[in-house]
Amino acid sequence: MGAKVSKMLEKIFGNKEMRLLMLGLDAAGKTTILYNLKLEQDVTTIPTVGFNVETVTYKNTKFNVWDVGGQDKIRPLWRHYFSGTQGLVFVVDSNDRDRMEEAQIELKRIIQDREMKDALLLVFANKQDVPGAMRPDELSRKLKLDEIAKNHLWKVEPSCATTGEGIFEGLEWLGKNVKLPPK
Amino acid sequence: MAEILSQRLPGPPPPTPMGATFGVDFRSSSHSRSSTSSTTSRSSTPFRGAPASDHHGSSPMNKPKAHSAQSSLSSVKERHVPPQQHLRSQYPANGAENHVEYILVASFDIDRGSVMEHQYPGPISGDENMLAELMLPDQAHMRNQDWTIFFLHKDTTAEDEAREERRDKRRRRRDREAGIVEDVSDGDTQAGADAGDPDADDGEDLGNTDEEEEDELEGPPLIYVLNLVNTKQDNTVKRGAIVKAMAICTRHSFLHIYKPLLLLALEEYFRVPVPETLAHLYHAVNSMDLSLMPRLSQLERHILQASDAKDMFVEKFEQMIKQRMAADRERNSVESSHTENSQIQQQRYMLPRDTHEFESRVYYNNIPVPIKIPTATSPETVGDFSLIKLIQTFSTPHTTAPQPFPLHPHLTTSGPFTHPIIVLVNALLTQKRIIFLGHNQPSGSVAEAVLAACALASGGGILKGFTRHAFPYTDLTKIDDLLKVPGFIAGVTNPAFAHKAEWWDVLCDLPTGRIKISTKIEPAAPSEGVAYFAALNPSGSKHSRGDSHSYSSNPSLTSSSSSSSNPAPTLSTSASFSNISGGSTPADPTGDAHFITYLLDTIASRLGEQALRLKVRAHILRFTRIAAAFEETVYGASALYVGADETDSDAFNYGVAGHGYVWPSEDVKMRELAAHAARVEGWRVTRSYFGCVADLARGFTKSVESSASPINTSGATTPKGAVVAPVGTAGGGGGGGSEIVGVRGLDLRYHIDRLRGLKLGNDQSAAVYTALYTAIETAGIPSPLSSLDDVAPPLTPAEQADLDARRERARYGIILHLLVVTPESQGGLFYLSLGLWHKRPEVRRMVRRVLERVRENEAGRHYWGALGRFAKVGFWRGEEREGG
Repeated sequence: MGAKVSKMLEKIFGNKEMRLLMLGLDAAGKTTILYNLKLEQDVTTIPTVGFNVETVTYKNTKFNVWDVGGQDKIRPLWRHYFSGTQGLVFVVDSNDRDRMEEAQIELKRIIQDREMKDALLLVFANKQDVPGAMRPDELSRKLKLDEIAKNHLWKVEPSCATTGEGIFEGLEWLGKNVKLPPK
Repeated sequence: MAEILSQRLPGPPPPTPMGATFGVDFRSSSHSRSSTSSTTSRSSTPFRGAPASDHHGSSPMNKPKAHSAQSSLSSVKERHVPPQQHLRSQYPANGAENHVEYILVASFDIDRGSVMEHQYPGPISGDENMLAELMLPDQAHMRNQDWTIFFLHKDTTAEDEAREERRDKRRRRRDREAGIVEDVSDGDTQAGADAGDPDADDGEDLGNTDEEEEDELEGPPLIYVLNLVNTKQDNTVKRGAIVKAMAICTRHSFLHIYKPLLLLALEEYFRVPVPETLAHLYHAVNSMDLSLMPRLSQLERHILQASDAKDMFVEKFEQMIKQRMAADRERNSVESSHTENSQIQQQRYMLPRDTHEFESRVYYNNIPVPIKIPTATSPETVGDFSLIKLIQTFSTPHTTAPQPFPLHPHLTTSGPFTHPIIVLVNALLTQKRIIFLGHNQPSGSVAEAVLAACALASGGGILKGFTRHAFPYTDLTKIDDLLKVPGFIAGVTNPAFAHKAEWWDVLCDLPTGRIKISTKIEPAAPSEGVAYFAALNPSGSKHSRGDSHSYSSNPSLTSSSSSSSNPAPTLSTSASFSNISGGSTPADPTGDAHFITYLLDTIASRLGEQALRLKVRAHILRFTRIAAAFEETVYGASALYVGADETDSDAFNYGVAGHGYVWPSEDVKMRELAAHAARVEGWRVTRSYFGCVADLARGFTKSVESSASPINTSGATTPKGAVVAPVGTAGGGGGGGSEIVGVRGLDLRYHIDRLRGLKLGNDQSAAVYTALYTAIETAGIPSPLSSLDDVAPPLTPAEQADLDARRERARYGIILHLLVVTPESQGGLFYLSLGLWHKRPEVRRMVRRVLERVRENEAGRHYWGALGRFAKVGFWRGEEREGG
């Protein structure tokens, strides 16, 4: 009964729920993005041991955002978070040109996993405030998105986690494009 | 006492100033023979092991000394002490095992993740990365401090070999004593050595054997790891924080005692991140002296746990001190050149304020850290969890807003609204995969819940194998290994586990206090027992009741009719009756709802954690006894009750027969068995079931061996031929095993339950009292079967003394067993004391004699003290009538 009512409300008001998984190399800015989303202010973060998870509601969509630590040793763990994920948020430090190839390899591994086949891909080209940062088009070339994510709907969003620039734009894109599970 | 001491004391005071000794923290010398420096450093601390104990304890040479110490004692106190044997320390000062085996430090590297920084004294075997990951639990960055516990299964090949060797030695000696091996050359000298005090040696060995065999059944002992992780914000380092963890690895199940030390040491390590910091802690904790803590047998441990008396078994602590003082004197007289003010030292041996705890201290960086160690520990009880907290967590939401469970025969034994704690206990008993999830909680709290769950199902050691398959804290990195374990109990903080219903059968969510049964749980296999009762009762024995709370207003007919006939003025009849029916009523056929109310009442009336644990213990014991009756009913015999044929045929002529659980009527029995069918069948294929069966078999074999092995004084015979299991004479021992085997051929618990809960006629009750009297009075007399030659040679004084000592010890064991089956929570000795009003004078006399024996017992005197005036009047009146 209760469940039926809430489903009706969802239809009327378009409430949706979406599970997001935020990954990226260590120190890319994942946790800062998460807490900017949650608290809408800049917070100083320290390296994530394990994971963070927060729920953020934005424009009728409830985002369940998982942020998992990025040190290379713990990357094999990422796969445990894949199932049920509707959107992958991949965060890249736009100034870390040295590790762009590493990022590309990791992203390929994630997005081509069977359990991620229906997931949207949002790439945050983060740390745009630093002079000389790569712009989205350059980043998408470096990440070979045309190739590795050709079966996915994807977007690269320039962002600055500390100011919040680009973050909600990215969420909005996810919210618009998420396919609601059949009811 | 002071007199005795002063005669022996060497005159001159010590040359070393007392105050200068506090800084001595490197205790590597503490396990060697008394060097001057270690001795003096000890003299400054009351509880540190005196070096003399190094040549104490294990060798048979010091036995006579123990006796002399005791005799000097007997004048000091009036209390009756049991047959004295040399008491052993739980943790002898010269013990081969350290309190703490390893100290580890790990940190979270911003580039590499979790890494191990240092290990002391050497690298612990196993996967270093895995250890480091466990030491830095998920979300450690979210809190400044977190405690974790995890277990390691260490490869102990070398230790196994040493153990095997010791066992061989013991076996050879046992054989020799039993006259199986006539090893003349060795035997001569051995016999001479044993003559002084053969039994003390025996006792120790039995103690060891029990514990080691226990280990053997389940593999090498676990290493318990207590871990502290700190996160410190630090703007001077890259990415603003340092996360470090320090862990203590120990075989002691009371690992929580090290918490204050870890706090100090990790703080120190943040300042001085070098291996020496680990070494300091290692030596400090290993210098902790527990050598005055007496070793208790399993029955003694049960009695201590069940008692509130702060001086229960204080005699044993006294004796430890006496032994120590005697050893000190001996050392002083031997090492007369080495002068020491032992008088000062000896005055510092103090009796514990509460014998449940042993107080010691650890000197770390010149800080004396007081430590309290539980004297009586149980298997499967690890750390300082709270059962109260666990039960409340999952009871409160159920009480305020019950939610139906999907049905599973093993789990929802009272229908969809089965109490969540019952679902949890059932899941543990039937070996399901259980996860405790505490999202946004410290990892310490999930670990605590897991440990509490283990104790809940184990009932304080009655069932085993839970901690061995517990993962108090684990994370996603171990998931592949975890899923290989059939039936685990794991604690996690990562909510990702909740989304994977295929990873668990039962999920216990700590923040919400809700328990979920997985949609992917394997259905219960069909079983003979369930079919048996279904055929018996085609209308369906399962009561799927919507409301599990109705029982309390539903008084059981059988209970009122039976208990009204009990003259129990000092006890509430319902409490006494619950021991028989377990509260099973037509509305609550399993008695589970009754059990839960009982638990919640205990919590509500603030009776404390220990009282709650005792109730859980009684419940688990009841479950195993019901399971035994179930097996006998369905399969004709039960592996859970060994020796049933002996008790039922009264093979040892006690004059009473029967065994097992007591029901007021056959109807009640069948109803309760039917209600238990699914979960008993679910349990019958689990590790804890096979472990329990093995424990029982071992306990019984031991009793058979001991009764079959003729002691050389074969002359004594008894008309009744009482054969007594060596339970309680020494040492630890298996969980349920000895609990049930106590006296061979006589099921004490069964008969006491009958006295307590059934209306026995004069003849029947007389038979029970007589059997009890016989068992106690003929304790330790070898079976006539063992007297090979009919003409008994007269006993030499030594043989007579030996026999007396044996009998005294056997009687001590039986009385302890009697006390275990008459806990004060179930009326204590009250139902026994009713025999003081028995119609027949000879029965009254026998009961009085039994009570006298109990009163003389060091534990029994507390039970006697708790007995009401009613009983005591009967006792004294009887004495007068007999003419003193």
